[in-house]
Amino acid sequence: MGAFFRRLRKDKVGLIGFIGVMLIVFIGLFAPLIATHSPTEMFNEYRLQSPNSEFWLGTDDLGRDIFSRLIYGARVSLMVGIIAVGIGAGIGLACGLIAGFFQGRIDNIIMRIMDVLFAFPDLLLALAIVAILGPNLKNTMIAIGIVFIPVFTRLVRSSVITVKEMDYISNAQSIGASNKRVIVKHILPNILAPFLVQTTLALSSAILAEASLSFLGLGIQPPDPSWGSMLNSSRRFMELAPWTAIFPAIFIVFTILCFNLLGDSLRDLLDPRLRKK
Amino acid sequence: MYVLSYIVRRVASIIPVLIGISILIFLIMQVIPGDIVSILLGTEATPELKEQMREEFGYNLPLYQQYWNWISGVVVGDFGHSLRTGAAVLPEILSRFTLTLELTIFASVIAWIISIPLGVIAAVRRNKGSDIGIRVISLLGVSVPNFALATIIILVLSLQFNYFPPVGYVGLFEDPIRNLERLLIPALVLGASMAGSIMRMTRSSVLEVLEQDYIRTARAKGIREHFVIYRHAFRNALIPVLTVIGMQIGFLLGGTVIVEQIFSLPGLGQYVLTGIMQRDIPVVQGSILFIASMFVFVNLLVDILYGFLNPRISYD
Amino acid sequence: MKKKLLITVTAILMMVFTACSSGKDDSTSNKGGENAGSGETTLLIAADQDPSGLDPHTTTAHSSHRIMGKIYEGLLDLDEDRNFVGQLAEDWEQVDDTTYTFKLRENVIFHNGREMTADDVKYSFERILDPDTGAISRSYFDVVEEINVLDTYEIEFKLSKPYAPFLSYVASGANAAIIPEEEVEEHGNLDQVAVGTGPFKFEEMVPDTHVKLKKNEDYYIEGKPVIEELHYLTIVDESSRLAAIRTGEVHLTTVTPDSVSLVENDDNLNVITYDALEYSYLGFNVTRDKLDDQKVREAISLAIDRQEIIDTVMNGEAELSGPVPPSFGDWPIDVADLDMYKPDVEKAKSLLSEAGAEGLELEMGVPSTEALLVSSAQIIEQQLANVGIQAKIVQLEWGEYIDAWNENKYDMLVGLNGPGRDPDRSLGFFFSSEGSANVWGYESEEYDALIEDGLVESDEDKRKEIYDEAQEYIINDAPNLFIYMPKSYIVVRENISDYNPVPHNTEDFLDITID
Repeated sequence: MGAFFRRLRKDKVGLIGFIGVMLIVFIGLFAPLIATHSPTEMFNEYRLQSPNSEFWLGTDDLGRDIFSRLIYGARVSLMVGIIAVGIGAGIGLACGLIAGFFQGRIDNIIMRIMDVLFAFPDLLLALAIVAILGPNLKNTMIAIGIVFIPVFTRLVRSSVITVKEMDYISNAQSIGASNKRVIVKHILPNILAPFLVQTTLALSSAILAEASLSFLGLGIQPPDPSWGSMLNSSRRFMELAPWTAIFPAIFIVFTILCFNLLGDSLRDLLDPRLRKK
Repeated sequence: MYVLSYIVRRVASIIPVLIGISILIFLIMQVIPGDIVSILLGTEATPELKEQMREEFGYNLPLYQQYWNWISGVVVGDFGHSLRTGAAVLPEILSRFTLTLELTIFASVIAWIISIPLGVIAAVRRNKGSDIGIRVISLLGVSVPNFALATIIILVLSLQFNYFPPVGYVGLFEDPIRNLERLLIPALVLGASMAGSIMRMTRSSVLEVLEQDYIRTARAKGIREHFVIYRHAFRNALIPVLTVIGMQIGFLLGGTVIVEQIFSLPGLGQYVLTGIMQRDIPVVQGSILFIASMFVFVNLLVDILYGFLNPRISYD
Repeated sequence: MKKKLLITVTAILMMVFTACSSGKDDSTSNKGGENAGSGETTLLIAADQDPSGLDPHTTTAHSSHRIMGKIYEGLLDLDEDRNFVGQLAEDWEQVDDTTYTFKLRENVIFHNGREMTADDVKYSFERILDPDTGAISRSYFDVVEEINVLDTYEIEFKLSKPYAPFLSYVASGANAAIIPEEEVEEHGNLDQVAVGTGPFKFEEMVPDTHVKLKKNEDYYIEGKPVIEELHYLTIVDESSRLAAIRTGEVHLTTVTPDSVSLVENDDNLNVITYDALEYSYLGFNVTRDKLDDQKVREAISLAIDRQEIIDTVMNGEAELSGPVPPSFGDWPIDVADLDMYKPDVEKAKSLLSEAGAEGLELEMGVPSTEALLVSSAQIIEQQLANVGIQAKIVQLEWGEYIDAWNENKYDMLVGLNGPGRDPDRSLGFFFSSEGSANVWGYESEEYDALIEDGLVESDEDKRKEIYDEAQEYIINDAPNLFIYMPKSYIVVRENISDYNPVPHNTEDFLDITID
């Protein structure tokens, strides 16, 4: 771990990504301290104000402080990201490990199910799931999470299969290590790199997916703010009050950028073949 | 011979997947709250009128029979009729598919033109200023949600240049120039979001290839650097890039919804979206099954192509 | 090899870009049609939604009606002041309480070339009344007992009982359209063909793209319509519609209130405003605990500052409305001075405590597709918080919203309603215990009695008194809170003239010209 950070420090781009992600997490954690107003309070006489000393990033169509909504929105976006990816990565990891480790019939069944989910158009699958479960934040996270399952399953399975072929695994098995021990002690650490990379990338797709679902009228319930829903409802005012769109867009872009930069660097750093350099 | 049996096995494995998809979409449409009868009738709904329409649509049959009626038609190419407009579903899917496919290809071409050269440059100049610049710029395309990018482009074009893509859609063969003009902006928006991942894939696989022994050997022999990159690294790095491209084309077939909606393109995505919103069951079931099948086939094709390009893959 | 490819690609791209810059001129010259010299003759309209079906008797969607209204006609129509005027009927008479006769216009030709006669009128109404058709207006004409053709151009309707709304429903546009029998016989229904007597003929429909209509050369009003063709281009996205009208790709589009300020100062565009024939409401599930108490509903009415909603959501450009919006001719009552419309937080609180309903928690459904309603809901949520009511907003996707409405799934629903063709529609249909759109579980014998009276009273003045009372009653008993009547905005290019939309007929294109 220490070695990892030492390498990260040398990789400026990755470091920027890492600091950016930490910044967003910090904002999300301490939102009540940072925000200057309540995110839902409406100042009716100050509708669609451009940025000023009272409302740093202006106000929206209902007279709410955009800065404070963005700060609180960080919580929503992070939560969507973390929980959706948690669902997708968790179930995907389990399915991928089982499929890859045991192979045979169970592998076949799992992978066919994943093929079905995978072939289903993403956005439409999420749309259908949200329509069934009802549109609210929790269900949106579940829907996005389900969409991620096949991606993680495939990734984990193929890594497991590669790792399994290595000598030390068969050695461990031959000296009588239990399956559980082999998986936890030998396989998991070795598939961690691609898994982590995929996780950072999935985090950014989840944030984007929430925005897309907001565009289609599903997602977080008003008046609670999310970056996606703010950006979407600001489309109506993009010309009249560009700040209502620009700032949520900047927050989204910045976050995704940081996650991706971090992910890219992780890939470079954790890939043993590139590590030598 | 191995190749042939591999292909046969891969094709055979598609069948259970397609059956699974058809069942999944059928069930999803059953559990989604809301039905087309209420949506069509709105405040005009009376109990008799609703009952009558449900009967007409065959909603009162047991589930397995509804599924059977649908799927047995699909097998012989009869996807049923839209409950909303009465138009046959399959011809509608096919005509819309041509648009979505064209848009997908157009967007992909734009994405390749932008991303592959940039990816190579970024890899070669790893961690130098231009690498970082390229990575950040290409990520911008990925990280701006489609709908925001599309709205910004529409605004800028109409206000600054008094330009709006021609309204209405004409086929590629009816009027190619007008058709391409119509699709240019939507394709740019989609292409921008694709370019990032292709660029990243190109960059990392070129990086990987550059580390390979034969490249080192080539360099050691004093072959000029850009020749090394072009002749050896680039071509070998293309293989994984191809996979990403294949996947993205597959994704796009179902992922053009938002762009189609904003630019009013009568594509497949728009068709499914209206279908879902209106609970037009034959439309949704038919088009999702169609999109998913296309996705499965594209990936199959990529798998097989991949094998041809890369002799190291074994077909067992 | 690679180089060649690159050059080709570059060449193609350049072609495309050149096409863009020159495309502008192409499309404008296209619009001119045949008479390019003397101004344009094809009116291009940006439609926000694709029509869903074109059978006039069974289709409800607004997107369909705006098109069917050009193709089909009924016996009667309404003028600006909501008085009856003849359309296919030249003259009409109420012979006694239950008998009406209509004298038809002569030489009216269907789009298939055949003359329309009394037999067609009889057939059309029989089709509406036939349960197998599934006609929307069947319930309007339940009372029709007999339809007799008196001669080629005269027809008589006998009703089973006096029924005051009868003429209003005869004037209900495409839903009571006169259609030719042979077309239905040939095609089974009117989904895929459209043959009427209206000023425009159906020419082509491409789903999610456009509907094209052409002038009916045989139209019975000499010299009308003026324009040759009418194209509805489906452009779902508002910002795209706005861009299309600004750049001259279309001549006419509807816009939301938010966009009005953006186009007001554009010299190339004119904004036409009229009162919409609808109102927004907050509906209560009156079968739920606490909400079944009139006091609680009154408290909510007093907690809500309707003017604040209008100012915030509608830029101040909307009027307070009751169950019959001010745009509905002489029928609406003036609601501004009613106590129920005067915000009074203190009184609301004391009513709530009288009813033992402090700290009430309610779920409020709202359709996610209607941005203005979602905004209204957020303001209502804040206003209710002031009196200690916690409202939780639930955004519902459209299909789910309709379901929730039908099945009364939430404590409260925010929505839009139209008053229909007749005040009975506005009042009886939505709130009488038998009314088929009374989804709220609301029942009041007193109110039902008023509705009954209104149905049979044929004297206009007395009928108005009855409905005045009904409006006051329903406002005070408050199964729904009526909030505002929005304005509708149509943006046209400056070269459009002689176009004057009225609330119940927003697209009369008989006189419209393009310079």
